Amino acid sequence: MGTYAARRLIWLPFLLIIVTFVTFALLRVGPGDPVQVWLGQHQNDEVRERLRAQLGLDDPLVVQYVRYIEGVVTRLDFGESFQFRGKSVGELLAKRIPVSLQLNLAAIIITLGIGIPVGLFAALRQGTGVDNVVVAIALAFQSLPVFITAPVLLLVFALYLDILPTSGWDGFFSPKIVMPATVMGVPGIAIVVRLVRASVLDVLGQDYIRTARAKGLSETIVRWRHILRNAMIPVVTSFGFTIAGLAGGTFIVEIYFGIPGVGFFTINSLFARDYPVIMAFAIVSTTLFMLANLIVDLMYPLLDPRIRLGAGNVA
Amino acid sequence: MRKIFRILLMAAVLAALVGLVACGGSDEPEAAAPEPTVAATATSVPDTPPTAASEAPAPTTETAMAAAQPEGGSRAPSADLTFDDRPAQGGTLVRLFADPPTLDPHLAGDVTSSVIINEVFGGLVTLSLDYQPVLDLAEHLSISEDGLVYTFILRENAKFQDGKPVTAHDVKWSIERAADPDTLSHTAETYLGDIIGVKDKLCSEDDAAAGKCTKADEVRGVRVIDDRTVEFTIDAPKSYFLAKLSYPSAFVLDQEQVTEDGSWLDQPNGTGPFKLATYEIGELIILERNELYHLGPPHLESVQMILSGGSAMIMYENDEIHLTGVGLDDLPRLLDPSDPLHPQLHRSPQDFDVFYIGLNSEQPPFDDVKVRQALNYAIDLQSIAENVLDGRVSPATGVIPPGFPAYTENLRSYHFNPDLARELMQESEYADALASGDFPRITLTISGSFGAAIPTYLEVILEQWRQELGIEVDIQQTEWATFLQDVNDKKYQMFSLGWIADYPDPQNFLDVLLHSESQSNHTNYANPEVDRLLEEARTERDRGRRFELYNQVEQMVLDDAPWVWTWFSGEGYALIKPEVSDYFLLQMSIPKYRYVYFNQ
Repeated sequence: MGTYAARRLIWLPFLLIIVTFVTFALLRVGPGDPVQVWLGQHQNDEVRERLRAQLGLDDPLVVQYVRYIEGVVTRLDFGESFQFRGKSVGELLAKRIPVSLQLNLAAIIITLGIGIPVGLFAALRQGTGVDNVVVAIALAFQSLPVFITAPVLLLVFALYLDILPTSGWDGFFSPKIVMPATVMGVPGIAIVVRLVRASVLDVLGQDYIRTARAKGLSETIVRWRHILRNAMIPVVTSFGFTIAGLAGGTFIVEIYFGIPGVGFFTINSLFARDYPVIMAFAIVSTTLFMLANLIVDLMYPLLDPRIRLGAGNVA
Repeated sequence: MRKIFRILLMAAVLAALVGLVACGGSDEPEAAAPEPTVAATATSVPDTPPTAASEAPAPTTETAMAAAQPEGGSRAPSADLTFDDRPAQGGTLVRLFADPPTLDPHLAGDVTSSVIINEVFGGLVTLSLDYQPVLDLAEHLSISEDGLVYTFILRENAKFQDGKPVTAHDVKWSIERAADPDTLSHTAETYLGDIIGVKDKLCSEDDAAAGKCTKADEVRGVRVIDDRTVEFTIDAPKSYFLAKLSYPSAFVLDQEQVTEDGSWLDQPNGTGPFKLATYEIGELIILERNELYHLGPPHLESVQMILSGGSAMIMYENDEIHLTGVGLDDLPRLLDPSDPLHPQLHRSPQDFDVFYIGLNSEQPPFDDVKVRQALNYAIDLQSIAENVLDGRVSPATGVIPPGFPAYTENLRSYHFNPDLARELMQESEYADALASGDFPRITLTISGSFGAAIPTYLEVILEQWRQELGIEVDIQQTEWATFLQDVNDKKYQMFSLGWIADYPDPQNFLDVLLHSESQSNHTNYANPEVDRLLEEARTERDRGRRFELYNQVEQMVLDDAPWVWTWFSGEGYALIKPEVSDYFLLQMSIPKYRYVYFNQ
């Protein structure tokens, strides 16, 4: 398993070079220019040329790219933000990324914490009215956009009941996380419910379940050890893709609940042509995506001992 | 459902803050913008009459300007007031705000940054509550007879926040820092470029090597006479120079701190009424009272600005913040006198801005002045303002907005006259083309991020052109950075844009937007007579005569119709808690928290 992980990690730098180069090139080839955004409607060609030269933006693309990568690799220097002038990109992102990560983690806990039991519950009552109602409710929640759930929750819990704070951020264990995490987590529940339900139904028809029951194991052990564990594999796979969105955050939720995360910040950076911020964000999210998928792959053998990583054969 | 619009509006407003508010204007970022504006605004007139700069005994041969009053309004804590007359001291004002892109005065070019910078830093000159340039760190100014030499004497009690006195050397060093190419200031040229030697100082080594300019180490035009006296020499007697000096580009920094402390911006040693006590990016700014402030310390103990966003109205109703701008969806209920919040609603004056549809006079069909005039006559702005925009704007009658220096009502502006519009089209060289269907294709480009909806008023204008003149116009939407690039390159045939005042002088509107050589003139408009008058007005020293020149220019521009005039911003609304007194909603960024106090 260790060698498998190491082999996967070797690819990370190559992936990063491709991602950063494409991002770098696209940013500079596309229209718009950070200095122009500074100047806004106060256009002045001489000032613009002078500032572009000072910033090195008029050097050949490859020179700029190499200079950037050199700074990142040798000094871990992601440069200074163009938009938040005088601030280092590392500092700007280091404050925001953990916030988004924690918020997303809380959302995922809600999604899985509700989705998995409910999915199992629905599958075990397949075809009954209960099953249909559960799936319908889950679907209804999935269809509710954030900009409906967010204000409704705010009105009910903050304004009328006055039991939760309206907005802000105080870390993972503060009650302030409850509403945004719920808003973000709820739509995903339906996906998990349906996935778990389908997967459990599939497992229920397997011979080993019949065997387990035939040899007199209690229903609880059958459910948790045999059914759920086997049913989790597709859930984990889809979970891998969910994690990919972790660092991205959900900018509407972040704005609405006043959470100083990375989502809205990055979108703004894109509009302001804040190249260094976007580059750093690309590097961080690529790395996170890769690591998340690696972790997911490493989880398979824990769920199903028949799966051995890197052996070339999956039983 | 109204909440849905709120969040979309919030998204749009916040997006607008990214780039669109780049040129000045008021400073209420959390307020919702009326439909046609580019920036979020809510402003109001101070409820205390502002104090005009009082005249000091002037040397006979010089024009002189007195120092600003220690306090605007009637509650100056001067020696003759008893303690009981002074507003309550202490308390923390809490509001929502946005992350300032920078706190370095020499790098700031946006309203959000300027609001904080104006509280923490200061310069020789600031603006009074009625937007006249008044002295700040200086106590006396004399201007030479030829209008070229400005001599400032610093206040004896002008100190940095750490107690160090501000000297003429600090002033000179600060101007030179702003103009140093390595500082990367994009505002220095605009605001300081009139000072002799600034352009040479701005010249980079590369450009000097290429022979484009001559490199200078110092700014010749700023001369230290003695520790408290500094002299500025400018290139022409420009009466708007003083107003420009109120901009953060000219603010005074502590040389020692800036050169020795790499992270000086975390705890800058400014000269403003408040110290920056805390700045957590994306979370919180805390400004604390500067006890040493030369105009008397502020009443408030501190100002807390929440940067992480949130739903302003809900937070206000929940008593989490003391003030907020008011969005359109909340306005109807707040206007109802029976609403408990109604007494806290404050009307605010319009921004200093003008909105227009630019017509590129080098692209057909706008190379014919009659077509341009016809477009102006064919739209019923009054009706659109009332019916589509609920009276939140007023039809623009000229280039200079109401309340701004040199504003006049005596202009022949456009009004809805479809017959005249059709007549003008018939007289134009495109009459036949219009009849035969060969009329040039017209595309109106507007900026908008997040796939923002096309403003309804624009659709109505387009519909009126179609109905009254039979002209079809397509709309194209572009994201701000791209829009800027293309509009600066004069690529657009027709575009929708606005302008917000940077400094209170008509030059900032007419010269900047309409001189044929100005790079902010995006329509290729060129009228030699207009250029001549604008140049004359730059150096005209008689204020009345100067404003006459600008009004003359304004009329000529109206007649030439390089724009389709649309709006001046209308008044806005803000909610302020009843315990907060003297929070002035202003149209320009000037230090204002020092006036605020809690009345209970």
